Order: sequence, then C-alpha cells, then structure tokens
Amino acid sequence: MTAPTRAAPRRTEPVLAGLAVVAFGALAATTGGNLLEPGTLRAVFAYLAVPIVIGLAQMVTLAVGQLNLSVGVVTGLCAMASAGLMVDGRWSPWVAVPAALALGAGVGLGNGLLVVATRINGFVVTLATMSIISGVRYGIHGTGTYENYAPGLVAAGRAGVLGVPTVFLAAVAVAGAVALYFAHTVSGRLLLASGGNPLAARLSGISNDRSVVVAHTLSGLLAGVAGVLVLALSGSVNASIGDDLLLPSFAAPIIGGVALTGGAVAVPGTCLAAFVVRLVDVARAQYDINPRWIDLVVGAVVLGAVLLSQNREPR
Amino acid sequence: MTSTRTGTRPVDPSTAPGRARRATGPPRWADPRIGLLLVVLVLGAVFAALRPSFLDVDLTLVPMQADIAVFVVVGLAQLAVLALGHMNLAVGRMAAVSAFTAGLVHDRLHAPLLVGLLVALAVGALVGALAGGIITATGVNSFVVTLALDFGLLGLVAILYDRFAGGVAFATRPAGMDVLRSDTLNDYCAGPVCGPPVPLVVPVVAVVVVLVAVFFRCGRVGREMLMTGSNRTAAVMSGIPVGRRTVQAHALSGLLAGLAGFLLAVADGAFSASIGEQFLLPSFLAPVLGGTLLAGGAVSVLGTVLGATLTAVIGKGLNLLEVPVDRLQVFVGVVLLVALSLDRVRHVVAARREVRS
Repeated sequence: MTAPTRAAPRRTEPVLAGLAVVAFGALAATTGGNLLEPGTLRAVFAYLAVPIVIGLAQMVTLAVGQLNLSVGVVTGLCAMASAGLMVDGRWSPWVAVPAALALGAGVGLGNGLLVVATRINGFVVTLATMSIISGVRYGIHGTGTYENYAPGLVAAGRAGVLGVPTVFLAAVAVAGAVALYFAHTVSGRLLLASGGNPLAARLSGISNDRSVVVAHTLSGLLAGVAGVLVLALSGSVNASIGDDLLLPSFAAPIIGGVALTGGAVAVPGTCLAAFVVRLVDVARAQYDINPRWIDLVVGAVVLGAVLLSQNREPR
Repeated sequence: MTSTRTGTRPVDPSTAPGRARRATGPPRWADPRIGLLLVVLVLGAVFAALRPSFLDVDLTLVPMQADIAVFVVVGLAQLAVLALGHMNLAVGRMAAVSAFTAGLVHDRLHAPLLVGLLVALAVGALVGALAGGIITATGVNSFVVTLALDFGLLGLVAILYDRFAGGVAFATRPAGMDVLRSDTLNDYCAGPVCGPPVPLVVPVVAVVVVLVAVFFRCGRVGREMLMTGSNRTAAVMSGIPVGRRTVQAHALSGLLAGLAGFLLAVADGAFSASIGEQFLLPSFLAPVLGGTLLAGGAVSVLGTVLGATLTAVIGKGLNLLEVPVDRLQVFVGVVLLVALSLDRVRHVVAARREVRS
C-alpha cells in the first residue's frame, strides 16, 4: 500500500493542542464560567476516560493496518460479564476485574486468529464477530440492568486525586503505557514495522501474522479496560453499553493523525482528539443542542481529517 | 483493505485468470451456488418438519418473500462495489437518506409513490457518486471514506427527520404504499385464474436482479468495472477509465441502496429514521455467501439471491423456533464467518488448480 505518514502526527498534535485550548477557553467564557465549576470540570474529565481508552483500542489495530469494529461491543461484553460475575457469581472485584480484562484480551485474540487463519479483511471478520459478541452480550442478562455490583469499585471510580477523577488518571496511565509500548518495546516496534511495510517487515524476518494477532489481542485488552472504566464510572450497567462507542473509537485516532494505512501511531494526538470530541459534546450539553449534531459534526471532521492527511502524503 | 490478502503473499499471477474464468463459467466443484441451494432446501425441510407453520403461506412464506426482496437489493448494493474490490459501509445510511427524501417529497409536495421512488433512487445514486468521487480524487481506502460518510449521514438523517418530520418518521404516506405492502399477485384475478401468492415487490426486484446480472455479464461498463477490480493496473493499461468506473460503481451501489431503503419503507409501512440500521451485515452476507470475492473482479448475482434467501430462511426459521433475537445475531455472525472461511478455501483450491493445470 502507500508509504506510512510518519510526519503527519507531528504536525497534527500541536494543532490539536491549540484547538483544544482555544475551544476550552471559548467554552468557558461563553458559558459564563459554568465550565470551570469543580463539579462540571470533574464530569468533563471523568467522561473523557472511556473515549481515550476506546480510541487507543482502535489505534492499536490501525497501527498494523487493520480495523476492529468490535471494540464497542467487547467493552459492553466485558462490563456485563464482570458485573454478572460480581452480582450472580458473588465474585470479588479483585477477581472479576482481571477476569474482564482477560475476557477482552481473549476475544481480541480470537479476532486476530480468525483474521490470520481466513486471510480475510479484518473489517469483515470483526463485523461478523461484532454480531456474535453483541448477541452474547445480551445473552448474559437480557435487557436487565446490574446494580450494586461492587460499591468499592464505584466509590474508587467516583473519587479523585486532588480533584482529578481517578478514572481519568487511569486512562492517562493506560495511554502512557501504550505510548511506551510503541516507542520502546521490541513487540511494539514490530507491530509498527508490519503496519508500515508488510513486505519489508517480512523480508526482515518479522511475522506479520503474529503482529496482527498481537494487535487484535491488545485491542481487545484495551476494550476490556474501557469496560472496567464503565463499571467504575456508572454504578449500573446494561447490555446496551458499547453501542455508541464505534464512532468515538474511530474519531479519536483518525482526527489525532494516526495513519490509516498502518505503521504510525499518535498516542497524544489520539488523547487530544478524544478531548476535542468531548468538548463538542460538552458544548452540546451547555447550549442544549440536538445530540445528533455531534454525529454529523464528528463524521464530517473525520472525513475532513482523512482527506487532509491524504493530501499531506506524497503520492 | 486488501493488504492482508496481497500483502502476505506476493502478487499471485495465477489468481487473476482464475477469477476471470469464474466470472464467466465457474467450474462445478467451486460453485458455491449449488451448495447454497442445497443448504436452503435442507434447512427449509428441517424447519418445516419442526414447525409446520413454516410452510404457512400467509404467515410465513409471503412475509419471507418480502424480506428476501429487501435483502437481495441490499446485497446487490454491496455487490456493485465489491466488483471493484471496494466496500460500501454506508449502504444503510444511503438507504436512510433516500427513504427520507422519498418521504419528504410526498409529505411536502404530495408527490405520488412512483415520483418518490425516482427521487429516492436519484438521491442514493448521488450520495454513492459522492463517495466514489472522494475515493477517486484522494485515493483513500473505500472503507474509510464510506465509514466517515456513514457517521456523517447518521447524524444528518436524524436531524433531517427531526426538522422535517417532527420526530423519527413521516406521519403521512403516499397512496399505493399499503397496497404494495399487503397485496400479493393472488389478489389480482383474471376471471377464475388468480396469481400466485407472491408479494407485489418481488417481480420488481426480479427485474432489478436480471438488470444487474445483464449489466455485469454483457454490459461494457459492468465488464470494465470487473476488470478494474480484478487488476487495476492492467485495466489502466487497457485504456479503461478506471476513475469514472469507480464513481459509477459507487453510484450504482447508492442507487440500489436507495431502492432497498424504499422497499423497506414499503415493508414497514412508514418512512422512518431507523431504515437501514440493520443493513450492513446482511449486505456482506448475501454476496459473500453466494461466492462474490471480497478482493474484487468476480461477482455472482444469482449467488447473492441465494445468499439472501438463506439469510431469510435462517432468520424466519429460528424466529418460528422462538430463538431469542440475541442468539439470532450470534447465528448470523457465525454463518458469515463460515462463509468467509469457505471463500478462502475456494480461493486456495482455485489457485492450486490453476498452478497444476
């Protein structure tokens, strides 16, 4: 395919950072300081955690030139399964939370193995598994809601350190780990090599198949993390969780400057883009705008970001 | 994204003639359509044995034909771009936009049903051509462009319904829509002879199927689309206007998506914002089950019809067996995965045959 755009993220991130600051300032000024109230500010960042992690989950598969349509439903599945284990199985959160992460990673591993075994486009494979997982997700507890699964976990999720929500800190920690993984570990570099130029990677003795499996497993694991964050954040979960996460999962990395052809990641860009999208959502709430405008605006911005990144690329 | 297919294996010259041959006359052993027909018949017999109401004309067979009609058109909408090796992830939303305009021209201008249909087709084709134009102009992967378009249209459709219909559906509907929905050919008699219990939409869809099949088999433009999908470089070298064919294939996809949206609106009895929400998975299921290659260059219109039929038979049968919806989703996903694996097996076997001969 085309050459990786390594230059793109470097130019995108300062622009996004500037945009985020300007948008935040404008929003704070026009809402008469309402945005700067401690409660509002905490909500802005608490609900930023899941978009960041879900964007990273998508970014990991984009890094090897794949897609994962099932991130949203895996998030819902992990949240529901974990809550089910805690409520119906009376498991301790100390066991149920790692179980959710393992489930996410396992589902991702299954996706990766299917992509490698069938040699079919990852998009179509994850479309099929998305349908399967969505069915399983509803199979756990029907349309019912789980509540009071782990008071300690929810209390921890709603608490904060120096006013900063713990879920947001957790998301930032995850983002830092992902950034380190891609920048400094052999496994992460191998993923980028496979994504950047599969033929060159293969000639260098890298197994592209292994990279695809690893990327999908990591993507599933991060979706599991997002599921745990949902558990900690909301206090009650039902099977519809994850239905509205597909667009955010693509919006954050694409706007953040991640090359869709693979081979380059942009962790700060993805986080900043998630923040900008979150600000759009906050603006909607503050100005009482039809929520559907968000989809339209974000969709248009994603399309614009794709076109821009393509123009930058020497063809 | 065909990188997994071509990226891991260097350019495989043996597949190109194999695809071309399958497009004209497939070898019997590789024809998925015969297997598909057998599976449909066996499954039909099993469901009929388990639930005699499966063969009930009014309860099952007539609604199932209407379902198949919609699924077939949805599958053909995807097939039009699969011919290029592209994808259209916005099929559902293109259908929704088309259905919205059909509802709007009736609601505001009191246009009759047929005018609504023509407007829906035109809008679908325009949106499709827009997608194709962006893909051609920028060289971005088709799935990314159509995915982003899908997100944009998702919001747009909801806003449009909110603004112009004051909710999620138009309250009015054109005259003739109910007739088209509920009547079968059985209701029209010439003297003592009445037609078979076939919904009125089925003959319409049958004509569309034949047109699409002729387009890809005999039409110059259709053949050139297939050649573009089979080997883009060779197509460019042969003087085929690859860019124009890409736009046209996406326009055709949008047009068929618009038709599917209209047909679903007829089946539902309302132009509503939820039209097209469930189109994405079936749109891939029908062509892929029928043997259309995801890599492009070969399509099977008859296979798409059979694939859609199988989807509808499974859906209706499991529905009668009172399988819950969530488990139905699991089955549909598994069927798609199995079909994809078979597609891969066929591909490998075809390549081996080609090398040996």
